[in-house]
Amino acid sequence: MQLEVNIARKAFTNAAGERHDVLADFNFALGPGEVGVFVGPSGCGKSTMLKIVAGLDHDYQGGIAYPSGARIGMVFQEPRLLPWRSVDDNVRLAAPKADDEKLSALFAVLELTAHRNHYPGELSLGLARRAALARAFAIEPDFLILDEPLASLDDALAVRLREQIATLVDSRCATTLLVTHDVDDAIRLGDRLFLLSPRPARILAELPIRTPRSARSEAEIAAIKADVARRTNGDRAERDA
Amino acid sequence: MLRLLSFTVFLAIWWVAALLAGGEKLPPPAAVLAAIVAEANSGALFFNLGVTLVRVALAFTLAMTLGAAIGYLMGRVRLADRLGDPWLILLLNLPALVVIVLAYIWAGLTEVAAIAAIAINKLPITVVTVREGTRVLDTALDEMAMVFAIPRWRAFRHVILPQLAPYIATAARSGLSLVWKIVLVAELLGRPNGVGFEIGVAFQLFDIPRLLAYSLTFATVVLFIETFLVQPFEIRLSRWRPRAA
Repeated sequence: MQLEVNIARKAFTNAAGERHDVLADFNFALGPGEVGVFVGPSGCGKSTMLKIVAGLDHDYQGGIAYPSGARIGMVFQEPRLLPWRSVDDNVRLAAPKADDEKLSALFAVLELTAHRNHYPGELSLGLARRAALARAFAIEPDFLILDEPLASLDDALAVRLREQIATLVDSRCATTLLVTHDVDDAIRLGDRLFLLSPRPARILAELPIRTPRSARSEAEIAAIKADVARRTNGDRAERDA
Repeated sequence: MLRLLSFTVFLAIWWVAALLAGGEKLPPPAAVLAAIVAEANSGALFFNLGVTLVRVALAFTLAMTLGAAIGYLMGRVRLADRLGDPWLILLLNLPALVVIVLAYIWAGLTEVAAIAAIAINKLPITVVTVREGTRVLDTALDEMAMVFAIPRWRAFRHVILPQLAPYIATAARSGLSLVWKIVLVAELLGRPNGVGFEIGVAFQLFDIPRLLAYSLTFATVVLFIETFLVQPFEIRLSRWRPRAA
């Protein structure tokens, strides 16, 4: 499904009563099945933007447009699983109509089969993230919102989970918004990269990547990385001048 | 095993104390047992215990339902909290006796008055406890339920209620022990039957074996309900928690 985001301004009021802009002129559109990846320094307002798109925050100027009745699957920075329900029951709470076979396949891809009956308190962070991913995919979302799904995992695990996410995204064709501070992850997962400025976050540049995810060579990834570095440094030089 | 031992020690101390104090003031275990058997044979014991338990059940259910609903509302809606708070403080500090006497004066010496008076005594504790629980509800989980469009009632049942469960259990626990104490006073003051009434009669006649017979059977029933109903329920509620070492 098509997603159009036009956030003219989003501000927070701090304890001293001063207003701070978090997002300014933040406009983009994503086509059906497209993966948009947002890369920016931490604390720049990425999560705030995701919350607005997810419909959790209505206190902003602008508008979000997508077809009514769209299903949204979200993976928050913290897994946000219900500790009193098993992994399986957590997924089924969000997706009560999910087909048993499809769920089993989903758990298999995410290597969660052995943990279906575990409670979240018994899981490592990596497993809990995957359980949260399973929940988001189980509802067969039209839009998928992933907030730093690979943060604070060790490298080997992050790579595995990244591959699992890529597999799922390619098989589901959900329009995806992914936020990360890791350029490498962004290039390997995204169809389009949005480079963000520090607060208030604006979109500095938009980089489409035409090669399909699975066909990207290391050389191409390195080239894009260099391009990203040049553009973000250029911005910094401009501001410093 | 340990429980049995502590019970035996209790009986031994009682027996020695009865010997020292004299049977007039503290009848020995055997005399009290005889009184229990006599009351049981006439059927009065079971009737009075039954009547008291029904009153406890009704007042407890009423106070828990109403108290939890009001507590949740006060925890969620600031206006309700502001409006209700002074009443809550008043009720919390109002002596049980005042509530009971006023209820009997205004509603007559009726069953409704008795049950309402007991429920009103327990109500504020439930409200305060559930309000506390509602205030610390995890908004992150609320957001999760919202994004995944989990229907309201389903979200309340599976996301909100489990978070409130420990608070509701605490309210039930402390509320029940309060109800056990107050029900006898309400019966003593204005009911023609029940354990409290019987204890009142025994007190007037200075019939100590009968007084102790009712007190001890009542205490046994309370202990039984706490052990076999309340505690298993609490354990069931906290099944998912990682067990403490």
